[in-house]
Amino acid sequence: MLAFVLRRLLGAIPLVLGILTLIFLLIHLAPGDPTARFFNPNIPPEVIEQMRRNLGLDQPLHVQYLRWLASFLTGNFGYSFGQLRPIAEILPATVGNTLQLTLVSLVLIFALGIALGVLQAVRQYSWLDNVLTFVALFFYSMPGFWLALMLILIFSLKASQWGWPVVFPASQMVSVGYETMSLGEKIADRLLHLALPATALGIGAAAGVARYMRGAMLEVIRQDYIRTARAKGLPERTVIWKHAFRNALLPIVTLLGLYLPFLLAGAVLVETIFAWPGMGRLLVDAIFQRDYPLVMAASFVISVMVVLGNLLSDVLYAIVDPRIRTE
Amino acid sequence: MRIRILPFLVPSLGLALLVACRSEGGARRATDDAAVPESLRYGGTAVVASIGDIPDVNPLTSTDYTANQLQMYVLFMPLLRFNERFEPEPYLARSWELSPDSTTLTFRLRNDVYWHDGVKVTAYDVKFSYDLARNPKTAFPNRGFWTHYGEATVPDSFTFQVRLEPHADFLDPWRTFAPVPRHILENVPPAQLAQHPFGTRNPVGNGPFRFVRRVPGQLWEFAANERFPAELGGRPYLDRLVYRVVPEPSTLLTELLTGRVDYYIAVPPEQAPRVQQSGVARIIDFPDRSFVAIVWNHRRPFFRDARVRRALTMAIDRQGIVDGILYGRGQVANSTVPPFFWNYDPEAGRDLAYHPQRARQLLAEAGWTDRNGDGLLEDAQGRPFRFVLLTNQGNRIRQEITEKVQADLRKVGIQVQPQLLEWGTLLERINKPPRDFDAVVIGWVTEFKIDDSDLFSCKKLDGPYQWAGYCNPEVDRLLDTLPRIVDRTRAKPLWQRYQRFIAQDQPYTFLYFVRRAEGVHNRLRNVKADARGDWVGVHDWFLDPSQRRR
Repeated sequence: MLAFVLRRLLGAIPLVLGILTLIFLLIHLAPGDPTARFFNPNIPPEVIEQMRRNLGLDQPLHVQYLRWLASFLTGNFGYSFGQLRPIAEILPATVGNTLQLTLVSLVLIFALGIALGVLQAVRQYSWLDNVLTFVALFFYSMPGFWLALMLILIFSLKASQWGWPVVFPASQMVSVGYETMSLGEKIADRLLHLALPATALGIGAAAGVARYMRGAMLEVIRQDYIRTARAKGLPERTVIWKHAFRNALLPIVTLLGLYLPFLLAGAVLVETIFAWPGMGRLLVDAIFQRDYPLVMAASFVISVMVVLGNLLSDVLYAIVDPRIRTE
Repeated sequence: MRIRILPFLVPSLGLALLVACRSEGGARRATDDAAVPESLRYGGTAVVASIGDIPDVNPLTSTDYTANQLQMYVLFMPLLRFNERFEPEPYLARSWELSPDSTTLTFRLRNDVYWHDGVKVTAYDVKFSYDLARNPKTAFPNRGFWTHYGEATVPDSFTFQVRLEPHADFLDPWRTFAPVPRHILENVPPAQLAQHPFGTRNPVGNGPFRFVRRVPGQLWEFAANERFPAELGGRPYLDRLVYRVVPEPSTLLTELLTGRVDYYIAVPPEQAPRVQQSGVARIIDFPDRSFVAIVWNHRRPFFRDARVRRALTMAIDRQGIVDGILYGRGQVANSTVPPFFWNYDPEAGRDLAYHPQRARQLLAEAGWTDRNGDGLLEDAQGRPFRFVLLTNQGNRIRQEITEKVQADLRKVGIQVQPQLLEWGTLLERINKPPRDFDAVVIGWVTEFKIDDSDLFSCKKLDGPYQWAGYCNPEVDRLLDTLPRIVDRTRAKPLWQRYQRFIAQDQPYTFLYFVRRAEGVHNRLRNVKADARGDWVGVHDWFLDPSQRRR
């Protein structure tokens, strides 16, 4: 197992380097310039030239690439042109913010998706199954940004106008005045702020997982060993949760690895709408500003997360499926 | 031009969804500003929000519009400030004096202003900042301020003296340029100022508010400066001032209406009615200095003839754009001079009002008629009048303008194809040779001190902002003379001539000047905003004592 993980990690190194080189070329070849944001009649062209020199942009592309590679391999991500701060200072906070949102969404996706899927499979073709199928397909087919805006409309704007007891904040991670709160209030404040973005990010995927789970459960329930279990006189609860459920989980575990990159990509819109300072927004802003060092660093983090996500799902697969473990 | 680029905009959709719904009696009646006694005005936290972060507040390196606002009204103190009539008045300087031969300008500074770390502000700080701003290595973005300025000296700790050649609006730079503390930045090499934490993590100013903390991408927090000179009003009413970043306008509107934001900077026109009807917030608006125009690339044969350009202007219903796309929040423009400036000429461009028949006639005079009966104009060689109109993506208003122009020009037989480009890509296309474009919808901010030579001077034909490729030697003479005339009464007739030339030649079709709107929650009182900026008067804002947040 350890050897397998190591082999996969080593294999990922050239992959990630290749991705980064490609991104380096693409972003530098794209029209535009990091100094374009100083587009202002008061700024004479000499000043722009001096800024370009200060940023090292006057060098030929291969020199810039080698410089970037050298500093990258020594663990130095460099300086963000747009934020004027060392990237090593920007990334940890941003990655943390994204992980907070993504992990809460992941829990939501799998908890909700699996629970609903099992429920639907057990009560196949009942009115409950039909209603849930409809609801799941509804959320599955709605674009995330629309859901996000609807959530804001109902749970923030209308909630405040109608005087609901809880009005969810529509933006950012904590309230103004967070520092003066007690620990309990701080936790509550964070959860309140997480509620809408995590739901907007996760509900579509949860609906998808529910569909997969329902399908997987139905397939397993028709297997001979389930019939055997029932024939032995086991209570239905044991049959479903002990025998059927665990086997039906196998394909779902693969989804975990697939959803991680999806969540990072989907997070761009959700992060923008909810003013959540995460990786997606960071990367998109950096691309628009042609903030080359930050684009490279953010792409690196995202490709590593994708590789790790895939690895994680493989490892989990091996854990839940003994057949794979022995190979 | 200071335009913020938005990564993602789904506002039109969001707006349609955030349906206006009047709250019934939810809002308490806002207290009349004057009814709140002085002693009750102090205290509380006000939250200002806008769609973009402020990357850097260092007066020597920042280029951001909001950063400049903070330098003038919040964190720092320039030597002068504008009053409501846009006339300079003392601020950090108690007085100023121009020598009789107009070559030496002397400022006498206040001696009761302290940097927020306790060190006294002196003329040495001003000279230090001025010298750095003139040093090419600093890459101070507004180097143009000092074109006619020379060496500075410090006769005593509170006197700052600088040499200059006489020129128009010579005081203007001292209104926006805020000195920085010498004792903090003394040993920083000029080329590294942009990366110094002073601008991003730990600014030390001397203004009415001091820096508390910053969470990049989320907020800036400031607190009242207790030592702000009593003569200038003493400490501000607010205890704390927080600037928050909310990139999506629909979210920002919700935050204002739910009371989590008190001051929403630059409410888009389509949201303004919703704020006004909410009962919890109001709109404060003012004519701004920014305009939107269509630039015709004169390097293209069909835009070379001034008659054609005039015809294009007359064929576009500009008032219709203001009414339909801006919901009336703008005023038709005819040049770079805003209607509320002292040098504005209301006559220039009056003959260019919407008139499609007259436009057709002018086009016919220039040789464009429908020769094959297909409804489109052709020239003598039978080539149809057809062009691509560019603008940047992510800006709903500009996108709708291109569509409206397409419809209007179709009526006179011209085929327009709108095209949206990402901001960086658009700039590359229009700023750098070979400037491969026909026409572009773009915005620009006129400074109080107008100098259009970057846009229209023959000498700048290869410069980045000579998008039109316009060159008229008579206009050039005016562009050279105007910045040198100190006396406004002498300059005014020349400004008039200038505006009439521009109206006659139509290098651009000027569409409108923006009417900028701020959304203000009812708990925030005593707010006045005008063309000086969104933050002007922040020192006097106060929170209704009965509605303060905890």
